[in-house]
Amino acid sequence: MNKDLLMQLKRVTKTYLMGEVKVEALKESSLDIYQGEILVILGPSGSGKSTLLNLIGGMDKPSSGDIIFKDRSLSKASDRELTQFRRHEIGFVFQFYNLISDLTAGENVALAAGLVNNPLPTQGVLAQVGLEARQYHFPSQLSGGEQQRVSIARAMVKNPTLLLCDEPTGALDYHTGITILQLLKQTREAMGSTIIIVTHNTAIGAMADRLVRMRSGSIAEIIVNDSPLPPERIEW
Amino acid sequence: MKILNRRLQHIIRGSLGQFLGMAVIIAVGISLYIGITTAFFNLSQSQQGFYQDNNFADYYFYVVRAPESILKQVERVPGVSLASGRIQKDVPVLKENQERATVRLTSYGLPLEKGVNGIELMQGRFFIPYPAGGGIEAMLNSAYFEANGLAFGDTIDIVADNRKYPIKIVGTAAGPEFTYIMKDAANMMPDHETFGIMMLPLNQAQHLFHLPGQFNQVLVQFAPGVDQDAVVQSIKDILAPYGNLASFPRKDQLSHAALEGELEGLEAISAFLPLVFLSIAAAIQFVILRRMIKSQRSQIGIMKALGFHNAQIIVHFSSYAILVCAGGAAFGIGTGVLMASYFSDLYAMFFNLPRAIGGVNYQVILYSILLSLGVGALAGFSASRPVLSINPAESMRPLPPTSSSRSLVENWNWLWTGLSSSWKMAFRTISRNRFRMLVSILGISSAVALLILSMFTNDAVDYLMDQHFNRESNYDYMLSFNHPIKESELLDISRLEGVGLLEGYFTLPIRVHLQGSSDEDVLVGIHPSSTLKQPTREDGTFIPIPQEGMVISRRAAERLGLQVGDTVQLETLLGLGPNRYAQLKIVAVNYQLFGNESYVSLAQANRILQESQLINGALMKVDPKQAAIIEKELSDMTGINSIVSRQKERDNIMSMMDSMIYMVSVMIMFSVILGFVIVYNSAVMSFNERKRELASLLTIGFTRQEVAVIMWKETIPQALPALLLGLPLGKFLAELYFGSVQFDMWYMPVVIYPLSYALAALGGLVFVILGQWAASRGIKKLDIIELSKNTD
Repeated sequence: MNKDLLMQLKRVTKTYLMGEVKVEALKESSLDIYQGEILVILGPSGSGKSTLLNLIGGMDKPSSGDIIFKDRSLSKASDRELTQFRRHEIGFVFQFYNLISDLTAGENVALAAGLVNNPLPTQGVLAQVGLEARQYHFPSQLSGGEQQRVSIARAMVKNPTLLLCDEPTGALDYHTGITILQLLKQTREAMGSTIIIVTHNTAIGAMADRLVRMRSGSIAEIIVNDSPLPPERIEW
Repeated sequence: MKILNRRLQHIIRGSLGQFLGMAVIIAVGISLYIGITTAFFNLSQSQQGFYQDNNFADYYFYVVRAPESILKQVERVPGVSLASGRIQKDVPVLKENQERATVRLTSYGLPLEKGVNGIELMQGRFFIPYPAGGGIEAMLNSAYFEANGLAFGDTIDIVADNRKYPIKIVGTAAGPEFTYIMKDAANMMPDHETFGIMMLPLNQAQHLFHLPGQFNQVLVQFAPGVDQDAVVQSIKDILAPYGNLASFPRKDQLSHAALEGELEGLEAISAFLPLVFLSIAAAIQFVILRRMIKSQRSQIGIMKALGFHNAQIIVHFSSYAILVCAGGAAFGIGTGVLMASYFSDLYAMFFNLPRAIGGVNYQVILYSILLSLGVGALAGFSASRPVLSINPAESMRPLPPTSSSRSLVENWNWLWTGLSSSWKMAFRTISRNRFRMLVSILGISSAVALLILSMFTNDAVDYLMDQHFNRESNYDYMLSFNHPIKESELLDISRLEGVGLLEGYFTLPIRVHLQGSSDEDVLVGIHPSSTLKQPTREDGTFIPIPQEGMVISRRAAERLGLQVGDTVQLETLLGLGPNRYAQLKIVAVNYQLFGNESYVSLAQANRILQESQLINGALMKVDPKQAAIIEKELSDMTGINSIVSRQKERDNIMSMMDSMIYMVSVMIMFSVILGFVIVYNSAVMSFNERKRELASLLTIGFTRQEVAVIMWKETIPQALPALLLGLPLGKFLAELYFGSVQFDMWYMPVVIYPLSYALAALGGLVFVILGQWAASRGIKKLDIIELSKNTD
């Protein structure tokens, strides 16, 4: 595994003001993210894992601490710079896919491809996720698993450095979930992207190169997994 | 139910912009309804009351002179309920400032209340037939009295039968035939400084005109339900020996025709304008409620699961629309009452009606409340129907992704393949929401059409004025003489310094006969070489005056069904000497827009009258620097009955048009508000529906501006065609409007200048941009973290 450092979170804190109550969603957490690894962030709801993902993905700025991406600090970046960061470096995969309902599978992918200067070929990416034959279908005509494949293709086509997946199997049945995890692993193998999966499903942790356990807004432990399981052997 | 009411409050607070927008449209619709309907109702009521109280005549007969005894014969004709005789003649007034004015001297027999076309005292007192100490007492119409700065007890000098008489003014009065005071149909607008009505006792009028025991007009009221044609013919036969000059029904009476024209115009728009606003508001409410119910499907399911009845939930959602309408009505009633009072003031300025025109009309207000609540209930209940089919168990499952389908544009492959994904998205979203698209397109084009409708009256009047002042008539002054004179006598005038062109004319009332039917008209004899006043064809080109034959007025041609080539018989109705007859061939139809008259050559006119070289008026072109001096010198000439200054005519019209500006601006504002609300609502609805999608675009790296552009792309394909569609729609509505109010004294062309189209399109662009901008502000507040959370 390539051990090049991609991103560093240094004593990052995120506080939200909920009405008059201050909620510390993330407390002084530090994390290094390496090029090409599969990092699984595990934790129950409210543990801060989504907050952590949002900070990594440039959707939010930390209240304190620093986030360094390729020698650049994201903590002081403007909204515009964060948008550019998301545009060029990040691919998002959501639990509920969030596809554009008025675009076909192929067009959803092409829409994202239009955002970057050197996207991967749309057709190739669709073939890679196994949806070449379904590319003219609208999201409403696709199964959940197929929609999640489109979502992954949409994220991949930009050839991002980081692929962030928020509960990617959360809305899927077991078998479909496994195929999606396989697809993610293949993507890492083919493109060398770093993949971060946020989930509350502990079983998925088995496929990670490293496992981050979150509890009450803090990183409880980081486990290096020397022998990650192939997704098809994971069970829940 | 309390809890549902609280929920309704939350919904309203959550969609406050849309709620207020729709309420404003309802308010505009209701204020237009109240304003226009109240004005119509009040004007019509005061007209009817005034007519009834003063026995407004059904028919007018003008004779040269007839003995008073003839009235008994007329009264005996079956079907005549009331008849009066009087003397009415236009006479010049010699004003102290040397300016010239004309008053229409009208006599009244006593007691006043028993006659046809009675009068009512406004201020001062009634005249006395034989004032102690001699002299003549008279009353004036208020507008002339005020415009000329007169006071009761003042004396004004008039010229009757070539003699000057001082007349003492003792009061002002109004009569049903003087509600809109214009000298004749050739004037575009009243000019109270130079024309008025002078009312005096019959005995005095008979004395002034040397007509003892006689009169020159018979006014008749018919019994209800009689065959008027037969009665009119009997009266004509009775009056024939006395030189029956003209006869016409009430509808051709100038003041009545003007008032009726205004009433018809009001009636035409009183239903149409509010309907446009209320129906668009209803359609928007329908679309909004349908969307609301769709997006709150699971909540409706929960309400049902908790035990709320269908009816309760339907009432809950319908209440939204009813509240919009109630709020709009509350506001609209206030502005409507203000608008009605503005209209009333305007009409009080235009029409001389002593019965109160103003006043709040509670019936109209009640109707407006029922109307707005009806609109709300209709929109609400029809939109809430889908509530019935929501199943509590099913509704709590997440909705499948919105199903999309191919859009119409996809049939044009060449276009579709070239489109970016965001354009494709826009077209599909539009075609998925066809009803909303229809409402947007119809709404935007109606708003643009209303902009045109607001502006085009100005264009039509401007065109009319341009035609009238710059093409059809080219004179600076139009003189009319007390009596016909030889053309050679014009030398006195032509010798004045600064007089350029001077052309004599003879104008006389005529009756045109064709195969048993006849129509009264005005014939103008001018030199074929004349350039100061010319008849025109339909395309605006000049018709040369023929040496032989006649150019017939459009009005007479239409009434008698005349065609070029027909031969008609003319009967002169000059009132001087016997009526003459002549056969003339129609060589052309005169489409002159204003003061549409028939034309012959001056020589032909003289031949018909069996005279030679007579004129009774002249047209002049003068050096503008000398105009004031010339005007003064003309005023000193007692042979001149009236002097019409074109400049004054024009100024008068301009000042009348100025009073329209307020109304035009209000209508423009209403149209822009309507357009804004439509665009805003449609964009907000689309935004709310796609919040998640748009937020997900932000997370994958779209900038907020790029998301705004995507929203624009959805608006443009609807707004642009709608803007373009609004332009011909505006012209169509203008034609419809003029078609409903056209009356035959004037011919108002539907003229819309390119500038008005451009301004309407620009106004349309403004409200589209504003509406879209207001709706796009939501993009700034889109919370990507909130929306990308894994929640349904």
